Amino acid sequence: MSILFSSRASGAKASRVNPIQRFVMFFVHHIRQAVFSLGELWRTPGSSLMTIAVLGLSLTLPTTLHLLVKNVQQISGGFAKAAEINLFIRDTATPQQVQSLKTILEADSQIAGVRHISKEAAMAEFREASGFGAALNYLTDNPLPDVLVVLPVHTEPAAARQLQQQLEKERIVEFAKLDLEWLQRLDALVLLLQQAVVAIGLLLLSAVLLIVSNTIRLSIINKRDEIEVMKLVGATDAFIQRPFLYTGLWFGVFGGLLAFLVTEALLWWLRGAIASISSLYQSDFQLQAMSLHEFGGLLLLAILLGVMGSYLSVRRHLRAIEPS
Amino acid sequence: MLQFDQVSKSYPGGFVALERINFRIAKGEMVFLTGHSGAGKSTILKLISMIERPSTGRVMINNIDLSRLKRSQIPYVRRDVGIIYQNHRLLMNHTVFDNVALPLVIEGFTGKEMVKRVHAALDKVGLLDKQRCLPQTLSGGEQQRVGIARAVVNKPPLLLADEPTGNLDPELSRDIMRVFEAFNQVGVSVLVATHDLGLIARMRYRTLTLKQGRMINDGLMPAPGVL
Repeated sequence: MSILFSSRASGAKASRVNPIQRFVMFFVHHIRQAVFSLGELWRTPGSSLMTIAVLGLSLTLPTTLHLLVKNVQQISGGFAKAAEINLFIRDTATPQQVQSLKTILEADSQIAGVRHISKEAAMAEFREASGFGAALNYLTDNPLPDVLVVLPVHTEPAAARQLQQQLEKERIVEFAKLDLEWLQRLDALVLLLQQAVVAIGLLLLSAVLLIVSNTIRLSIINKRDEIEVMKLVGATDAFIQRPFLYTGLWFGVFGGLLAFLVTEALLWWLRGAIASISSLYQSDFQLQAMSLHEFGGLLLLAILLGVMGSYLSVRRHLRAIEPS
Repeated sequence: MLQFDQVSKSYPGGFVALERINFRIAKGEMVFLTGHSGAGKSTILKLISMIERPSTGRVMINNIDLSRLKRSQIPYVRRDVGIIYQNHRLLMNHTVFDNVALPLVIEGFTGKEMVKRVHAALDKVGLLDKQRCLPQTLSGGEQQRVGIARAVVNKPPLLLADEPTGNLDPELSRDIMRVFEAFNQVGVSVLVATHDLGLIARMRYRTLTLKQGRMINDGLMPAPGVL
């Protein structure tokens, strides 16, 4: 495009290039630019590595916290399935009434299963588990009630609570007990942890943005003369800023990879300790690592931050450099 | 082709660099611009290349008023004007080839077409064998010629040179002037700013003379002592 000389054939666009070639050249040009920027990083290994390290480590913390939350959620998820409702039967109820209630409940579509613990069974269990064995012999009658243990189909707290209130209305039921409170507390804790992760993550991500932006600013200042020359021979701002944006992209790629590696190393290191704890609790808890999805997300986020940080800096500082 | 219409330029602080300058350069004309340092030669070149904007008056190229162009259009103006700088303004950590190729890369040339043009430009200034060198390893005259090759590589219709023979010996100065004449002969308008009066006298082209920001002479210079 020539503004001053309308008849002047200017630029490669004016020469004979067909659209397909131009399309291919567009990509070739960008790939070349990307490789060139990578080469620039390679030529200044010291400062590049520093920036990548800061970036990677800053991303490691939110990533690790995210995995922590994920694992805690997995544990609390396991507990939520055990939300059972205990129906304590009135003393006045006959065994027939208890049996018919059990049958009715078993037919209910909201209920996955019903288990009957009779007075006697409860007493036997209590005698065994409590250690009051001999003392219990002095009781003249059995004070324990019959209990129906109901396992709801929907184990979410709200649904379970509703079922509990419904079952409490049964005539022979003294009261229904749903041990939800500790579960709700755990949920609240997980939520708190999650929000803390988001807050810390946001802080660290803005730090990453500023770090990239500052590094690019320094490299713009270092190349001041070069930028002036490019402007003098007619380079547009878009042309000049492209290599810096690609530098930001590479910072993102390598920072993201570093964060991934450090997180994986951290998990590997913790795995032994967690295995010994979970064997003490006779649990088959498995520490969940990063999924491919999460890895992709991390890398994408890192690249986005790199390019954005670079763009912030380029926008502010390239305009300021004018040849004199 | 190039027209200055009542152009004045004053800098903040009250220094007046140019005062109501009028001149025209026709297509295919070769003109010298002379005067003592500080007379305003560089300011005129900066106004043409849009490094500076005039305080009043109009600078027109091909009947287009440069002051009406937007900031984003400046790069395209600079592609139409080849400029040779006194201090060369080369990319010191890139090879001669890369330096000359820069305007072509900016315009989107690639591959064979680019190589062909760069080689043609380097051949004209006689530096084809130095294309892989870094500018630091070249002499001042050679660096100047790299600058010339870069200015002409995309065949601009207008060529500006700021003290192109500044610190060169007479032999080299003459060579470089011959290069300019060669471009002029194929229809390029050339404006050479220089304070080398001997050179101007020998070449006998139209000469614009500036003194303290005013144009005091436009035409052939009387050449005392020559002929």
